[in-house]
Amino acid sequence: MAAVAQFVVNGLLVGALFAAVAVGFALIWGVVDIINLAHGEMVMLGGYVSYWTLVTVVGDAAGSPIVALATVPIAIAVLFVVGYILQRTLVAQVIGTDVFLTLLVTFGMSIAIQQLAIRAWTANPRAIQVGFEDPSISTLGLVVPKMKLVAFLGAIALTAVLYLYLVRTRSGRAIRAVAQNPDAAALVGVDVEHTRALTFGLSSAIAGGVGAFIAMILSIQPQMGLIYTLKSFVIVVFGGIGSIPGALVGGLLLGTVEELTTGLISSSWTLAVSFGLLVVLLIVKPRGLFGQGVSE
Amino acid sequence: MSSATGDAVESAISAARRAFGGVWRPIGRVLRWLLPPERARWILDTSDRHGWALLAVATLVVAALPFVGLQEGFYMTIASELFLFSILALSWDLVGGQTGYPSFGNMAFFGVGAYATAILVKDHAVAFPAAFVVAGLLALVFAGVIGAIVLRLRGGYFAIATLGVLLTAQQVSRNLEITGGSSGKILLEVPSQTTFYYVFLGVLVVEVGLVYYLSKTRFGYVLNAIRDDEEKATSMGFNTTYYKTAAWMLAALFTAFAGGTWSLFNTFIDPQTAYNAAWNVEIIAMSLLGGAGTVAGPVIGAVGLHAIVVIVETLATGWQLIVVGVIVIAVVIAFPRGAVGTVAEYASELEYYRYGGGSQAEDASETDGGGEREVTEPADIGGPNGPGVDDE
Repeated sequence: MAAVAQFVVNGLLVGALFAAVAVGFALIWGVVDIINLAHGEMVMLGGYVSYWTLVTVVGDAAGSPIVALATVPIAIAVLFVVGYILQRTLVAQVIGTDVFLTLLVTFGMSIAIQQLAIRAWTANPRAIQVGFEDPSISTLGLVVPKMKLVAFLGAIALTAVLYLYLVRTRSGRAIRAVAQNPDAAALVGVDVEHTRALTFGLSSAIAGGVGAFIAMILSIQPQMGLIYTLKSFVIVVFGGIGSIPGALVGGLLLGTVEELTTGLISSSWTLAVSFGLLVVLLIVKPRGLFGQGVSE
Repeated sequence: MSSATGDAVESAISAARRAFGGVWRPIGRVLRWLLPPERARWILDTSDRHGWALLAVATLVVAALPFVGLQEGFYMTIASELFLFSILALSWDLVGGQTGYPSFGNMAFFGVGAYATAILVKDHAVAFPAAFVVAGLLALVFAGVIGAIVLRLRGGYFAIATLGVLLTAQQVSRNLEITGGSSGKILLEVPSQTTFYYVFLGVLVVEVGLVYYLSKTRFGYVLNAIRDDEEKATSMGFNTTYYKTAAWMLAALFTAFAGGTWSLFNTFIDPQTAYNAAWNVEIIAMSLLGGAGTVAGPVIGAVGLHAIVVIVETLATGWQLIVVGVIVIAVVIAFPRGAVGTVAEYASELEYYRYGGGSQAEDASETDGGGEREVTEPADIGGPNGPGVDDE
């Protein structure tokens, strides 16, 4: 039983990261109406930005917690710019066309980015070593690695900031307006093109920030992106499109299910189990657990 | 973002757009000069009227190549691969282009066919022709089960669910013992290269013939109706589930035939190559490049794109997928209707002059898909032939 509790804790810790990635994915889906198949590549790029910043500044991929965390805002900033430019130059060309064209453009971006990354940085996995004096906390028979806890809190914080931004600020309100009705938003003076690009930038930024955390607790490699895109999709469908709390719950749930699968069966079945669950859910409850009747 | 950097980004973006337009517009002009509406219309009409004759002549010419100098080796391998990709692209298009269900998981059937054939031939000493048929039937059953689940979904949901099926199938074959795990299977005793050349060609010709025939029957029209408006097709009294499942299973059958032949042709399979998500994007790109929803389009696209991939592979190994990615993006933005679709678009410009603007407006509503419409709708609605008969 203690083992199961440990798996659940591990799952929740990782799940928050999945959730934050999925929130970015859901944001583009909801606002720009694009299923961004290159979203996982933004996670990958964020991880590499953090990694290379550390290597450039410190000299190798290891650092104290403060130094490592200082690279997260850099990853966020760089990925914001990348996302903004991708939307303005490429994705904007296919908005409002067939869903299939938008899928292809983003998949084309995904392949090109992934393969360029392999060319530039080789396919070897890399990781950032964060040195803690005492790497984990033990309470009630549970072991919690400190770095995972920090990453968990970081991912929750990123999600919360994004949520508050969307709900409280003026440009956040513009984003929600464009999501509801781009034409009406344009009529009241919202720059729709800019707002969509801003959304894409924010979505990539949160993915990039999480990517930096992933480089610290797991590892990164150029081909990791597709799995994160798929996880985001599972989570978003689970939680309901356009629902940030739904994505958060979905992410924590997916993390837990995956860790339980790894612990009780084998790590090589995680994908099959999560997709099996997704298929069941799509049949039973196509709108997701927290769906607000958003029409497809 | 501060306004100064915002302006800089803004001007950089418009410069990029101008550069893109500067490259693209002259190409468009040259194409239009090469293909005036009359010629485009003639090409479409002739190929449509003499479809069977064209298919027969092309088949004979290609089948005769090994007798007039095409020897086993590099060029025969490339030719076989061109047939292989044509089969895959055409199968994808039957569901993706004709029926409007963009599958990102067709390669799952390829993998099932490839593994079934390899296991039967290697571990159970079944003859290749028998294994080929059994693999096809197995994929048919598999497609029936998967189709019952995923064909309930539409658009992006369908696309990602099928991608999930593909990756799950890959993971399962990596974990099972019968498939040889992640190291895969090596097949040494295989038929000659010429045999594969003819098997691939035969499967392709049968498939082109079948799809061409179906596109002229009620079956084909119902598929197109499902793509255009599934609810309307249902309300016309068609059992759309039956039609789309049938198309899906047919596509799976041919994809599995291609996969089964490929496993022996390649003499080696593993989960990474048999369930290849990148190939899945390639075949979608091929179909789109040639013209989704047409018979000739996917084949033209497969030959064109695979030729480019082979050339890039020879000149700069390792860059071929980057080139594929860039081509996919460029084609989707510049030629969303592909080669055949673009010819049809040029041909329909003649309709515009002959019958007024009805065909043009029809055109715009199709490509814009409900976005901002730039063409104003004229009052009259097409001529005696009805508005714009540009849809294959």
